[in-house]
Amino acid sequence: MKNLRKQNRKRPRPSENIDCRRDAGKKTKITHYDEGELDCFRRRALYSSVVLIVFFAIIITRLWYLQIQHGEEYRLLAKNNRVRNLQITAPRGNILDRKGRDIVTNRPSFNVVWVREDNKVDDELIKKMARLLDIDISELLTRMRKMAGTPGHIPIRLADDIEWSKVAYIENNRMNLPGIKIEVLPRRVYHYGNLASHVIGYLGEISRKELDKADPEIYQGGDQVGKMGLERLREADLRGEKGQHYMEVNARGFEQRNLKGFEPMPGNDIQLTIDVDLQRAAEEMMMEADNSGAVVAIEVNSGRLLTLTSSPVLELDKFIGGISYKNWNAMLANPHHPLINKVVQGQYPPASTYKIVTALAGLAEGVIQPETMIYCPGFYKFGNRTYRCWKHSGHGAVDLQRALSESCDVYFYQVGQRLGVDRLAGYARRVGLGKKTGVEMEHEKKGLIPTADWKKQRYNKVWQEGETLSVAIGQGFDLVTPLQLALMTATVANGGTLYKPSLIETVRNPDGKIIEQFTPTVLDRLKGQDKNLQLVKSALIEAVNGKHGTGRRARLKNITVAGKTGTAQVVRLKQYKHLKEEDIPYKYRDHAWFTCFAPAEKPEIAVSVIVEHGLHGGSTAAPIAKAVLEQYFGDRLDDPEELTTVVLPGRLLITEN
Amino acid sequence: MLRFDRRLIHNFDWVMVVVLLLVSAMSLASLFSSTWAGGPDPSPIFYKQLYFFLLGFALILMTVCIDYNELEKLAYLAYGGICILLLYTNFFVSTVAGTQRWINLGFFNLQPSEPAKLIMVLVLASCYAYNDVGTSGFRIRDLIKPGILTAVPFILILIQPDLGTALMLGIIFVSMTLFAKLRLGTMAILASAGAGGAFIGWKYLLKDYQRRRIETFLHPESDPMNHGYQIKQSKIAVGSGEGFGKGFMEGTQGHLNFLPERHTDFAFAVWCEELGFAGSLFFLSCYFFMLLWGMYIALTARDKFGVMLAFGLVMLIFWQAVINLFMIMGFLPVVGIPLPLFSYGGSSLMTTLLAIGLLMNIRMRRFQKPEVR
Repeated sequence: MKNLRKQNRKRPRPSENIDCRRDAGKKTKITHYDEGELDCFRRRALYSSVVLIVFFAIIITRLWYLQIQHGEEYRLLAKNNRVRNLQITAPRGNILDRKGRDIVTNRPSFNVVWVREDNKVDDELIKKMARLLDIDISELLTRMRKMAGTPGHIPIRLADDIEWSKVAYIENNRMNLPGIKIEVLPRRVYHYGNLASHVIGYLGEISRKELDKADPEIYQGGDQVGKMGLERLREADLRGEKGQHYMEVNARGFEQRNLKGFEPMPGNDIQLTIDVDLQRAAEEMMMEADNSGAVVAIEVNSGRLLTLTSSPVLELDKFIGGISYKNWNAMLANPHHPLINKVVQGQYPPASTYKIVTALAGLAEGVIQPETMIYCPGFYKFGNRTYRCWKHSGHGAVDLQRALSESCDVYFYQVGQRLGVDRLAGYARRVGLGKKTGVEMEHEKKGLIPTADWKKQRYNKVWQEGETLSVAIGQGFDLVTPLQLALMTATVANGGTLYKPSLIETVRNPDGKIIEQFTPTVLDRLKGQDKNLQLVKSALIEAVNGKHGTGRRARLKNITVAGKTGTAQVVRLKQYKHLKEEDIPYKYRDHAWFTCFAPAEKPEIAVSVIVEHGLHGGSTAAPIAKAVLEQYFGDRLDDPEELTTVVLPGRLLITEN
Repeated sequence: MLRFDRRLIHNFDWVMVVVLLLVSAMSLASLFSSTWAGGPDPSPIFYKQLYFFLLGFALILMTVCIDYNELEKLAYLAYGGICILLLYTNFFVSTVAGTQRWINLGFFNLQPSEPAKLIMVLVLASCYAYNDVGTSGFRIRDLIKPGILTAVPFILILIQPDLGTALMLGIIFVSMTLFAKLRLGTMAILASAGAGGAFIGWKYLLKDYQRRRIETFLHPESDPMNHGYQIKQSKIAVGSGEGFGKGFMEGTQGHLNFLPERHTDFAFAVWCEELGFAGSLFFLSCYFFMLLWGMYIALTARDKFGVMLAFGLVMLIFWQAVINLFMIMGFLPVVGIPLPLFSYGGSSLMTTLLAIGLLMNIRMRRFQKPEVR
């Protein structure tokens, strides 16, 4: 400023300007010249410069404030403006059978989505889409309403899994369908239909409740999560990791370009111990006869479950994309209870199959000897009550072998009476009854093996000895699940080792690395019972193979099957006594059991079958078990050569007399 | 008529030329970036502005040839012309975007309110320079003539409606009147009258959308998607430039359309975003140096009219710049005032370049002897 002023003063006087005269000749009119007044103006111009500088300073300060002090915040805001991320659903892990065959995998499915940012709700568009997709406008509106309040760049799904022709149409008419996009999502494929549906379970959209509990990093509204079975229990393994798609959008939300994101990571593959062939054989047998019930096959020397059938099976396709109320209510009302996984949730009186436990306990406790003979007149009087044998004419004098193979009730009434309820229960528990097995299935039931203490606690009543008689033949309070019974059979078959049942062979990550491998887990071991177990086994062989055996329908060519039938009373009502079995109302008919293992000489597999209201174990349940065994042994049935390598002939058949 | 004086070339204002070229280059670069739509070629808007610059420079060369005192004689003639043009605009021009501002001249749309500002400066400078009131300052009655002279175009522009430009006329009038010196009493009366006028104007004269803009500015959250949105996006654009910017042509706020009016009113926000604090500081330093140089021209002018005129021209550019920059940085509501020389728009650019041409004119003739009347 000082310089300016100096320059001012040094400003040449007008009179010194030589050329003024030439100008003066022109007509140019110059304002009144007054040096004093001009100076006054100049001072004001100087002050004005100060004003200019002040404003300059204010502006620069503001720039500093915005760009330097708060620059990072604004940069973040700018980034939030332009960068949107979309999650890419990871393909769920596959589920395979023990031989590596695919049971459940994924395929790409095409969904129609609407990105709201692109345009507001447009009636024309909705009408067009409803016509195109062939769904109700009201449904489209419901789907839109459901997503109200979520961030705008998250697409709203209008239709799931549309046909290829519709995909093509939408892609070709993109310009006329603003905001409508095709989204590719992995979708479950069930290669064997409803096979093992209770084991595998189904997927459904994550519920509000689940979403509230879930980690927001992992789950978002609209995600598919396991709702039942392994899909639910192994959700963490199967779900994989979502990918991220980052994109740059403009002010109207249109994608401008892709930014670097990351690919989704598929879920882990689960290989089951279940064998598709066996499972299918069991399911077909059950479904053909319209049976309600369960089939369990287990590897006796490891606890691997080969078949887990609960009939009727769930119709998985009804669950895809959310089950309708109508279907759900129909399932609830179905007398066959398809929603119940009968393998672990069905509790039934074990009936005669329980005699295996009673026989073993009797031998182990020494209350009977193999040669002990008991006379069966067809009934047994105890106290003031008469307990009947199923064979009203009576079995006559029977030893253990005959009692078990022909399922004489009177014999076991007396064994039970000699043992007492608590001793009997002890053995039942050691072969896996009356407690959860710990298998990876939901809502497993404990079953019930009563003791005197239990009754005291439960009903505050003293145990009646008469009740022991019922319990000894598997009636009364006794309840088991089909899985427990299979476990019991396997334990008897393998010489007394109780394995934890398992249905998962391996879990592999997408690179094929095994992250979980099945190893047999021993839960309990009956020691010093080899001889007694052999006695029970030979009686069970007789039950299937003997002339009077109850389980004759499970016999196989070249393979010795050992088994036991059971007929579980549902109700004991006089009014049905005189009726023919077929005339008894379905829900009052007896349950039919059959449990077996094979080959008897060197057991590999145990199979338990229950057919609800199937009347007779021997006729209804045994053929189903046979079908599973046939499937299991396959060629070995025709090739006895193969048997010689496994069979130990003679040794087990010593008690045949 | 144009007898060319060789010493005029000798006294040519090279400083202003250099600064002007610097600012113009930056302005064009920014316009190139903000209107670039992909592909190898700049947008037609860029070319249009480039031609206006070239035309403007030619106009400057013509302007400096005529002594500004000669031009003063033309001022009232131009004033009459512009008033007629404004009248014509108001009554015979179809409405564009709710306002009547542009006259279609075939090759470009003239916005007469832009040159009106320049002509107002000329007229007021002449008015105050020849009204000799001594050292005591102007009285109210001395202000009647300039007041009416300002009021006519002011009202004509206000009913277009173009609040921003009308406001500029008002500001120029106030600045120049204060510069010309008022009596203290006069100032007091005018201040209170101004306050009352502002109140009445707010109550009865402002259009709804104008009132909303001001309200939005005071409560930005009440209207997040409109004017509040514009200011917000502008602040984000400026702020996100940080120290050194996102790089030329790399701005996201502008290129992805988050920033409204990115080559007109909010053009400087694009510059801030892409070149950061450093680039903005450099540009503003050049720009304010240009204004200060203009003030220095006023300081060294040979006569009273020259001082008044130079001052008015600087104020014309200065206030527009301040209002525009304040708007971009979130200090003021959205008013449609461009940043002179930087915002796209032919009328504004020509007016500004003419103003600079006049400044150079005054500068070149600072040594010529004044003639005593």
